[in-house]
Amino acid sequence: MDVLELARTQFAVTGSLHFLFVVLTLGLAPLVAIMNTRWAMSGNPLHEAMTRFWGQIYVVNYALGIVTGLVMEFQFGLAWSGLSHYAGDVFGAPLAMETLVAFFLESTFLGLWIFGWGRLPRWAHLACIWLVTLTAYASAFYIMLANSFLQNPVGSVARGDRLELVDFGALLTNKSLVFSFPHVIGAGLFTGAMVLVGASAYQLRRRTEHVEFFTRSLRTGVVAAAIGIFVTTGFGYAQFAGVQEGKFNDNVGAALPLGLMIEFGQLLALVVLFVMLPMIAVLPRWRWTHPLLMLMTPLPFVLAIMGWLAREVGRQPWMIWEKLTVADAMSPGLTSGMVTASLVGFAGVLGLLAVVDYVLIARIVRRGPRDVALGAVPAGESRSPALSY
Amino acid sequence: MEVIWFVLFAVLLAGYFALEGFDLGVGLLLPLLGRTREGRDRMVAAMAPYVLANEVWLVAVAGTMFGVYPLLEGEVLFKLYPLVVAMLLSWILRDAGLWFRRRLDGFRWRGFWDAMIAFGSLGLSFGWGMAIHAAATGFAGPVVHPVGVMLGAVVTLLFAFHGWTFLAWRAPGVFGASRSGRALAVSGVVAAVPAVGVLVGAMPYLLANSAPAATLNVLSVMVLPFAPIILGAQVWVWRTFRPGKDAVLLPSFF
Repeated sequence: MDVLELARTQFAVTGSLHFLFVVLTLGLAPLVAIMNTRWAMSGNPLHEAMTRFWGQIYVVNYALGIVTGLVMEFQFGLAWSGLSHYAGDVFGAPLAMETLVAFFLESTFLGLWIFGWGRLPRWAHLACIWLVTLTAYASAFYIMLANSFLQNPVGSVARGDRLELVDFGALLTNKSLVFSFPHVIGAGLFTGAMVLVGASAYQLRRRTEHVEFFTRSLRTGVVAAAIGIFVTTGFGYAQFAGVQEGKFNDNVGAALPLGLMIEFGQLLALVVLFVMLPMIAVLPRWRWTHPLLMLMTPLPFVLAIMGWLAREVGRQPWMIWEKLTVADAMSPGLTSGMVTASLVGFAGVLGLLAVVDYVLIARIVRRGPRDVALGAVPAGESRSPALSY
Repeated sequence: MEVIWFVLFAVLLAGYFALEGFDLGVGLLLPLLGRTREGRDRMVAAMAPYVLANEVWLVAVAGTMFGVYPLLEGEVLFKLYPLVVAMLLSWILRDAGLWFRRRLDGFRWRGFWDAMIAFGSLGLSFGWGMAIHAAATGFAGPVVHPVGVMLGAVVTLLFAFHGWTFLAWRAPGVFGASRSGRALAVSGVVAAVPAVGVLVGAMPYLLANSAPAATLNVLSVMVLPFAPIILGAQVWVWRTFRPGKDAVLLPSFF
């Protein structure tokens, strides 16, 4: 592989890994926030157990989202300085907003939610998880805004050898953004919901002692999955109104994942909306359905990656559509040796950590809602929140 | 407008040193002060509630650099390529150590991730000294320079001292000493000195290479209104996790 292909591979590997975890974060955040709300309103121990169990899966998954995201952010400067040189005045702005406002607040509130358990007043603690959800969505919005600019570079003019920002409003209403953002949000919800369904099916299949816990979780998952896939497919089709002309012609690398995503996405939508949703009352009891539900769990992740492949490979050979090629965006002076070393380092470390993370999540699912670390009461402390200020 | 954004950038970088400095310091001290597994658990528990709110300052530094100094972003990171890769890997392993160390009960499991926390903290602290030296000399020399290595050792010692002060403030007496909030503030300022030094030196260069007014105006409108909320969230963290006996209660999530 030449240096350009190596640099592209490095970005594709870290980007795909990042999204595998981010898509679940985006889906589980609102679901955990809803469970936490029910608990805050009812005080029901079952709702508390659901918040802690699914919250634990959410935060363990979150760890990999962070570390893969760090690598992505710095890779722009390491391998793609031609992009910041040519379009940094436009493309840099949404990334600055994402890190300075959205992710900054998301990380701060997540820390408060995890470690403020039993320490913050009930409603303040609940507010934290909703703020985490809101800022996670804001993060996704700014990242999609930046990506949509690469797909359809509006709001800017070329002056000399650089792009200049002239109309930020045009970036906000980019036709490449308005339907793709809700598409991603829907896909996230669908993914998170299917994890609820699959994990609950596993526990029910094993004749868990927590029947009510997993029956409710499974039903919540089915309803959320139905909403998620409905939003995803609806905005998925709407996106074709904003796709660049000829994007998928003669580009097998983009057309194939696109076709697979659409075909299997439609099939899944039919199954969720017309089989699982009508059967919601009996699904927890009909044990023969549980292996099928478990088999469906990885599909949303695969389809999400297919979607990104279609969108990003379809942009080739352009970094910024019809303005800047990927080859010109690469850092001048980058050598194969440099990229190979960093690719091995990042792919090796992040790949291993991803495997470890999935094993840990699988273990949480297997152990069930007993002895969950998240929100555990420290020895020698009472459960009531400190009303210290 | 350039001046406002320079000040913001400077506050973020100096703030990262003053805040994340003590997290890295505690990580550095893990093998020294935390001889037993429970000792290390308590050290991590003391800093755990702050880590997410502290490390994010560097994420914001990088994002601000992209938005406000786009021409420098690629240049600086590319010239430090091997160093940035090594520092990123250190950061990843430190974070993974924190998130993973308590997820399984095995003695070796936790010992391994504690080693990763110490190792990652060391790599990051040392890397910062070398990066600051490279920036101060205009990226002229090789990345690994004797003076840079010395500066790396200095930053490492500063962070370790800051981490020690933090532990003595958050959990008075538990690790052998007690320090006031004022002492912690002073050690934070001292930890930020290397960052402030390089920022002062780079100020004319940064001001001259700011993004054009149109970009800065949009950034100001979109970011500055949130500044009080961001500041408020940080204050909330410090008000919630105050010093006291409960600072090192176990189990903590990290």
